Amino acid sequence: MVEKSSLNEGTHSHSTEKKSGRITTFVFMRNLIAFLQRFRIFLVFAVLQILALSWYVTYLSFPRNQYLTTNNNIAIQVLEWEHDLTKHFNLSKNNTQLQWENIYWRKRQPKFMYQLSRGKVKINDTIFEQQYTYIPAEVINSSIDRSNNYFTLNVGRAQGIKRGMGVFCQEGVVGVIHYASAHYSLVKTVLTEDINIDVNIHSKKSDLPGFIKWDGKNARYGTVTGINNDLRIKKWSKVVTRGGSGIFPKGIPVGKVSHTEPIEGQALWKVDILFAADYRRLQRVYVIKNLHIAEQTALEARIPEED
Amino acid sequence: MNIVYKHIIRFVVFAFLQALVFNQLNIGFGIHLMIQPLFIMLLPFELAVIPLMGIAFLMGLVIDIFSNTFGLNTSALVLMAYLRPIVFKFYGPREGYDPLKEPTSQDMGSNWFALVYGLLLGLHTFWFFLLEIFELGRFGFILQKTILSGGLSFLLALLIQSFILNSKQKK
Repeated sequence: MVEKSSLNEGTHSHSTEKKSGRITTFVFMRNLIAFLQRFRIFLVFAVLQILALSWYVTYLSFPRNQYLTTNNNIAIQVLEWEHDLTKHFNLSKNNTQLQWENIYWRKRQPKFMYQLSRGKVKINDTIFEQQYTYIPAEVINSSIDRSNNYFTLNVGRAQGIKRGMGVFCQEGVVGVIHYASAHYSLVKTVLTEDINIDVNIHSKKSDLPGFIKWDGKNARYGTVTGINNDLRIKKWSKVVTRGGSGIFPKGIPVGKVSHTEPIEGQALWKVDILFAADYRRLQRVYVIKNLHIAEQTALEARIPEED
Repeated sequence: MNIVYKHIIRFVVFAFLQALVFNQLNIGFGIHLMIQPLFIMLLPFELAVIPLMGIAFLMGLVIDIFSNTFGLNTSALVLMAYLRPIVFKFYGPREGYDPLKEPTSQDMGSNWFALVYGLLLGLHTFWFFLLEIFELGRFGFILQKTILSGGLSFLLALLIQSFILNSKQKK
């Protein structure tokens, strides 16, 4: 009997061990479920927030897909309808601008000029080679009030648009193509915080190189950074593109210097500029295609990296 | 009209108004009019928080797609949907809300509406600009944008409310 009972006890204690293990997992699961139920609302909230914010953070650095921007089919269709309705609002002003631009170029065409020396005939110019071509485009969606403003254009890969091409309008620089879908593209404008277009400030002695920045406040004013304060800058001196990166040709207007003040603790000027273009009413723009860009990038890839 | 259809129609109308009219208005001074919070505000009292956040997420997605803000509106609207029941509970009557009433200024009184919607819209707008600018050094600018945009959006919401109210009285 004694032996039996001890045997029984042994098996009993063994099973209680198993049971207690099962009970602890059960308790753990029950606590977990209770926890999830209790914080269910907050967890759903957190998941949705993480989804939204990760979309925001990843898209700002690199565009991965087009479906969640204005470059998807439905949104574009709706915006096209809206554009068809509102595009005529500035029609007469735009026509006048285009007329003036035509006059400007017509004055510079050799065939419309008076020929002074009749003996010479220009056949083929071997001194100058065309480096840039331009693709006309219309802005169909834009904003200027955010801290990063993107415009949607009605041209895309079908027209040869690629990421990194420059965009300008008649008055001045607009931005750089951020993403191109089949028939539409998204422009990262100068009204974004990290646009960094290389520019020159014209001064009497030399051109001062710097970069455009925008502080997110006023769509009419931007800043140029990287200007040493040992040089004097006159108010209203012109700011134009430098053309070093091959995105913009040299000399596209950006704006005029409106205010300079020294940065404390640094040998640099803080230069405020008034943008040449009024981005609030922008409709017709040109996309720049640099015919030599592949050559330039291939050449610059040969620069040995410093480790 | 069936209450579900009514809110679906409101969803479409609010999304399109925001995308095609108020997004295109560039007033300056950093003012950005937003009417989509009013849609979240006007959803029925008895709607649970999780579906409410789901609807807010969808609405934010649509607005973000149309304005190239990549998730900013979504985040702000989901935050507002999360806070809505808490604020409602805090400022609600002790015996709970009458399920026949709607969270509008004519059902609940203009004082209640101004207080609750003002608070929710303020938090929504503040969160939106805080994320957009994301720089504590420019806190003054965030506040300026919040106050200007939030104030004007609030007045706009009162105007839209009066339109909805008028159309109801005619019926």
